[in-house]
Amino acid sequence: MIEAEQLRKTFGELVAVDNVAFTARGGEIFGLLGPNGAGKTTTISCISGLLTPTAGRVRLMGHDVVRDGLAARRVLGLVPQDIALYEDLSATENLAFWGGAQGLRGAVLRRRIQEVLELTGLEDRAREPVKRYSGGMKRRLNFACGIIHQPQVLLLDEPAVGVDPQSRVRLLELVRAEAQAGRCVLYTTHYMEEAESLCDRLAIIDHGHLIAQGTLAELRAIVGERDILRLSGVFQVERAREALRGADGIEVVQADEGVLRLAVVNASARLPLIFATLAASGAEIRETTLTQPSLESLFIKLTGKELRE
Amino acid sequence: MRFTWICAVKDLRRLWRDPAALIVWVGMPLLAAVLMYVVFGTGGVTPRGHLLVADEDGTLVSSLVAGAFSQGELGKMLVVEKVPSAEGRARIQRGDGSALLVIPKGFAKAFLASQAFQLKLVKNPAQRILPEIVEEVASVLADGGSYLQALLGDQLKMFAEGPPKGATTFPDETIIATSVAFNRLGAKLASYLDPPVIELKSEVIQEKSLTRANFAAAMYPGMLFMAILFLALGLSADVWKEREQGTLRRLGGTPVRLSAFLAGKVVAVALVFAAVGVLSLALAHWLLKMEVANLWVAVLWMTLSGVALLLMMMLLQLLASSQRAAHLLAFLVVFPLAMLGGSFMPFEAMPDWLAAIGRFTPNGFATMQLRLMLAGQAQPGPLAAAFAGAALAAAVMFPLALARLRRAFAA
Repeated sequence: MIEAEQLRKTFGELVAVDNVAFTARGGEIFGLLGPNGAGKTTTISCISGLLTPTAGRVRLMGHDVVRDGLAARRVLGLVPQDIALYEDLSATENLAFWGGAQGLRGAVLRRRIQEVLELTGLEDRAREPVKRYSGGMKRRLNFACGIIHQPQVLLLDEPAVGVDPQSRVRLLELVRAEAQAGRCVLYTTHYMEEAESLCDRLAIIDHGHLIAQGTLAELRAIVGERDILRLSGVFQVERAREALRGADGIEVVQADEGVLRLAVVNASARLPLIFATLAASGAEIRETTLTQPSLESLFIKLTGKELRE
Repeated sequence: MRFTWICAVKDLRRLWRDPAALIVWVGMPLLAAVLMYVVFGTGGVTPRGHLLVADEDGTLVSSLVAGAFSQGELGKMLVVEKVPSAEGRARIQRGDGSALLVIPKGFAKAFLASQAFQLKLVKNPAQRILPEIVEEVASVLADGGSYLQALLGDQLKMFAEGPPKGATTFPDETIIATSVAFNRLGAKLASYLDPPVIELKSEVIQEKSLTRANFAAAMYPGMLFMAILFLALGLSADVWKEREQGTLRRLGGTPVRLSAFLAGKVVAVALVFAAVGVLSLALAHWLLKMEVANLWVAVLWMTLSGVALLLMMMLLQLLASSQRAAHLLAFLVVFPLAMLGGSFMPFEAMPDWLAAIGRFTPNGFATMQLRLMLAGQAQPGPLAAAFAGAALAAAVMFPLALARLRRAFAA
């Protein structure tokens, strides 16, 4: 179990993480979703003890990561965002090193090396130097090094970033298997689809703040049944707002001279009305994008911007 | 302790997988040994100079003076070539020769007549040692000649003038009288010469004795420490590599201590230094016939002082703000150290003030100690102090490097 309470981390004037609180339980995959620079990696670093929080506290299986860091790190498996492997060494040697760092030795270490090699499909090339591996293989080995000691808490910091689709599918299967084995998995990502398909519960983070958390169903309920309609062109913002104010089921999420975002109930049926209203306000519409209710639309609704921006 | 060994094995494996770097580092002293073998051969190398002699007098006495430079040990150091005076001067101007000795016309006559005379010595300013030897020998000859003239001047003059008119040889009584005079002089001097009243007592002083050693023996330890210095430079940069590839950060998420990780690096490097020490000294002994009096003590010294140098370099690397700055800083330190520390030229060839500074650089001090160990001249007390000093330096730098590693690199 991971318990984060009012976590705050500052770097001088910069507040990287502020008032972050959540609980992730054993056997579940808890997703931390947010754009690049939102504070996901800082949060993971505080949870793993790599960074000392400025305020708040984190417990892993009841061990405080600051006051009882050694015990906390014993239950922890960390898969960093950047591949952290010895490229000159083989997969077996890397696993032996990271297993050794976690206290495994002898027959147990050898057995676990064999198991994770099979699990990640690397057994055929286990003795080759890692520098000869493809990006996907390195990602799998990076993952394998984090789970070799069967940790109770697994922190995965965007483990599938930059991976080919085949390797991504395989990695996500491995993550699911870890959760099914009863481990508490914290998974950070900026891919909506990944979060939707993988995570049991989610927290959405932006600019260091958790802006929403819950199950996928709970989060979708925040958006309601509204679609997100993105219109780009030339708008007279105030006139457009005024024109749409009276329209039932239409909410302006974001408006500037180039982009207008609307949360609309049954948007496809109401498109002609919206276009006509905006045209009357002097708008010139050049492009339209309609997004069904999703985490993406939730993120837009909560932050007024797309996740990838 | 166990993780320290795991780290050491990991680093040794990584080194082994990077054969190019390993060959360059380990091969540096070996290459130095081979080059010295090619250049100097295996024997004690004696510098050879070229003495030009312009004998304007052309007499028996002047020939004896010129011949004195090709006698005994001096003959092994100097090639004596008779040249006309003008040619001799021109050649010295061109740097072709160590010195020009000019024996002026009338030298023998003046010598036998007990008149003042002057030998001219023109030295090549580009050379230091050999012209000074020639000057010293010429001075000794002049002094000896003066004493000989004072004691046996009459007899020498008589023989130089030749037999009396009308005779082809000297009369028997003249020869007998001269023999008696030489004999008496010998008897008078015997009490000084046998046993000698003035006893020449040779004391082995470190630097003086080292100057007698062959050139390779004087240069090789410095070159070894240059190799160790560069090895330390290369291996210390590994902390940056660990940082760049994220392994150092990942390690922070494990229950191991960073001190064990750093100790593992030190152990791995110490093993490399020990291997370099054994290999290079064995090669020096086998190829250069260099004296290796205390092999294992010397290897231990190379290992311990090498570790101290590694930690010094590592501290420098860790203090830098970027990998590039670290490289620059390390090179800025390494090259002056190598220059001053007797790696590019022995201390004996440096000006005294520079040699004095060089001997107090970390690698210069280590080089001097190694030379003493190899020559079998290291005394137990100073040797123990040197080991203790190196161990203390390593013990001070380790926690400093660790603190910096923890603060700036692992987070």
